[in-house]
Amino acid sequence: MNKPLVLVVEDDAAICNLIATTLGTHNYKYRTAADGETAILEAASHNPEVVLLDLGLPDMDGVEVIRKIRTWSTMPIIVISARSEETDKIEALDAGADDYLTKPFSVEELLARLRVTFRRLSYSAAGGEADSSVFENGDLRIDYASCCVFLNETELHLTPIEYKLLCLLAKNAGKVLTHSYITREVWGSSWDNDVASLRVFMATLRKKIEKDPSNPQYIQTHVGIGYRMLRV
Amino acid sequence: MAGNEREEHILVCLSSSPTNGKIIRIAARMAEVYRGTFTALFVETPDYKVMSEENKNRLRENTLLAERLGATVETVYGDDIPFQIAEFTRLAGVTKVVMGRQNIQRKYFWSKPSLTEQLISLAPELDIHIIPDGNVSRYRSRKLYRTEQLVRADDVAKSVLLLAAATAVGMIFRKMELTDSNIVMVYIIGVLLTAVVTSRKWYSLVMSVVSVLAFNYFFTVPYFTLKAYSDDYPVTFLTMFLTAFITSTLAGRMKQQMKQASEAAYRTKILLETNQMIQKKSDEQEMVSVVANQLVKLLKRDILFYPVEKGRLGEAVVYPLGEEPQNPENTGADERAVAELVYQTSHHAGATTDTRSDARCLYLAIRAGEKAQGVIGIPISGEPLETFENSITLSILGECALALEKEKALREREETALLAKNEQLRANLLRSISHDLRTPLTTISGNAGILLANADDMDRASRRQLYANIYDDSLWLINLVENLLSVTRIEDGTMKLHLSTELVDEMVQEALQHVNQRKKDHRIVLNESEDFLLVKVDARLVMQVIINIVDNAVKYTPPGSEIHITTYRQQGQVVVEIADNGEGIPDEAKAKIFERFYIVEKGVVDSRRSLGLGLSLCKAIITAHGGTIEVRDNQPKGSVFRFTLPEEEVRLRE
Repeated sequence: MNKPLVLVVEDDAAICNLIATTLGTHNYKYRTAADGETAILEAASHNPEVVLLDLGLPDMDGVEVIRKIRTWSTMPIIVISARSEETDKIEALDAGADDYLTKPFSVEELLARLRVTFRRLSYSAAGGEADSSVFENGDLRIDYASCCVFLNETELHLTPIEYKLLCLLAKNAGKVLTHSYITREVWGSSWDNDVASLRVFMATLRKKIEKDPSNPQYIQTHVGIGYRMLRV
Repeated sequence: MAGNEREEHILVCLSSSPTNGKIIRIAARMAEVYRGTFTALFVETPDYKVMSEENKNRLRENTLLAERLGATVETVYGDDIPFQIAEFTRLAGVTKVVMGRQNIQRKYFWSKPSLTEQLISLAPELDIHIIPDGNVSRYRSRKLYRTEQLVRADDVAKSVLLLAAATAVGMIFRKMELTDSNIVMVYIIGVLLTAVVTSRKWYSLVMSVVSVLAFNYFFTVPYFTLKAYSDDYPVTFLTMFLTAFITSTLAGRMKQQMKQASEAAYRTKILLETNQMIQKKSDEQEMVSVVANQLVKLLKRDILFYPVEKGRLGEAVVYPLGEEPQNPENTGADERAVAELVYQTSHHAGATTDTRSDARCLYLAIRAGEKAQGVIGIPISGEPLETFENSITLSILGECALALEKEKALREREETALLAKNEQLRANLLRSISHDLRTPLTTISGNAGILLANADDMDRASRRQLYANIYDDSLWLINLVENLLSVTRIEDGTMKLHLSTELVDEMVQEALQHVNQRKKDHRIVLNESEDFLLVKVDARLVMQVIINIVDNAVKYTPPGSEIHITTYRQQGQVVVEIADNGEGIPDEAKAKIFERFYIVEKGVVDSRRSLGLGLSLCKAIITAHGGTIEVRDNQPKGSVFRFTLPEEEVRLRE
């Protein structure tokens, strides 16, 4: 059985050890790097499936590492940061990171994020839905060709904005999209008013596609950061 | 000796007297013994200008000596030395004055009371220490005689008229064949009146002599000669002269005292009035404007005021006598330079003084302590201030400086108190934190230690229990740290809200994800509003509020309780209510619950986990967002926490 390889970039030995142990006990292969330079080298030479990247590195900014890796690879990068660095998180996501974890995080959370990422990887490996004309996720189905959305084979009536939003999230399923990214993609601008509109349309969209909006299944909210379509 | 209740302030007066040095030394020693403040005061009178070089040099030496001995040297200006000293002692809070003996004895019984006596009567509460000094007689300060005032035409005319009148009345008496003694009386009355109506003492002296001569010339046999045949005339002349002179001197003194008394009364009235007006004001600006307006009324001139702003002299403010400032040149650049000079040196300058006497105005510093707190400008334009005006102006300025100083001290005290209070809060916070950190840390390290050492000997269930304890306590620490971070953001006073438009229900849902795991024992019900409630808030902080309140509800209610969270809109406000059906909060605790470090004291099992920080933080956060937070009783039991946030109006972009 081919175990996926995870590259852990973390300068704190205790946390690095915690992550490594967790990965080991859950059947992942891993390599570790304690600074940005080594991280880029490891990423290039071993081509890991996923990178877990701590933003606070001794030699360079974690965001810089993301930019470097993104020059040659689209490998998923999950950012790990201390909570006070909210703007850093957004910056990292905009630079190309796929997801983020906030310190202190629980082991379960880490594993859940990894599962989400691998699920997405397996989807794209299976057919590459970006090019496909149909998107399927659990009971949700989007037919791009006819601009129709089905939930449990029942057609949903979405407004144009809602449909645009859903498509954007679906195409980036598994990735956390920042507010400004979404508003730029949907409205072409990122003003305060757009963020407010985004909130409202996202809420109406959820009411239509989620069975229990207070416990969302498809669209996850990241307060202060953005939204993400979850792979069911 | 050690039990001095207040600090002593010792004052010595500087003079050009050769024995002054000795007195300064004694005063310095006294200041040392009492461990008090030591001030040397020089009263600069108009005589200073005509002081001999020798005396000026000696004064300089004495001043230097006083400085060397640790005295703060102060200068005040005025004619009336004892009054100036008394004023200064009152303003500066002097407790003891040291003086030489030379000033003690009156020269003659009708001469002015000595400096010491005047000082005692002006400042009765003052301790005056008299130091014996030897060679007194050799030193006499030279007085300034203002020649222009020595002979005044109107005084001479009055004297001549009175003499003529007395002579005329005498003639009539002789016609009526009354005795000589009546005529003598008429002359004495003439001299007495002269003393009253003229401004200087020597008029009555000359008048006495002239009266005797006139009596001799007109009324003694032989008439119209200065000869007198009768033997008793020399005695009559002598008695007449002495009587005239003594009565006139006494009358003069009386007149002078009356004038002084009325001036003193006027001065007291004005000072009292000014003082009362100043006391009513609490603002520096208002105090100054009161004083300036008093001076405008008193001196009948425009008054300029240069305030001190951030250690520099600000723009001049003109308090005009009429509607408009009389002369705009009074605030020109040259004038300002003089005011600057006064501010720098705290010395008076400008017109009628030694320094920069070419200026249009007289500049006086308002100061009580080291630093001037403003400069007052008085336009002189040819009419110098009268002595009385000058001294009362100085008194008012002293009063003003004192009030300003008091105000400043009060403000400083308030600031210090606030600082101390913050310091106290910080100390409480630290104490509270270290206690609340220690307990869970002990659990974590202790449990981990047990697991490391004895894990193999323990059954699965007890190991699990220890793991669970470690996990719970670490979660609790995480929450504590979150709160502390928020507190520091607010405490710094630099709370920058990262405002963004958020859906209230979204925030509530997200917050519930972070509520302590033990919520599994409680049922949390979310009643969302039908509308989309948008608020512009710092999402992280507002979520912290929801987390803290729900955590509290979980913590203080028995397992199995229900917690209802309701959101709705009310008069432009978004309301979030978090209701539980627990024991409720006693009324006396409700008021205090949002205070820092308040912990409801009741026998809750894990009251150790109660950093009294959560709710005070909630209040701070909600207040910073312009909302309100309150707690009330739930029906039938429990409590309801309710907070509001201003609703955000949004126009949707389709």
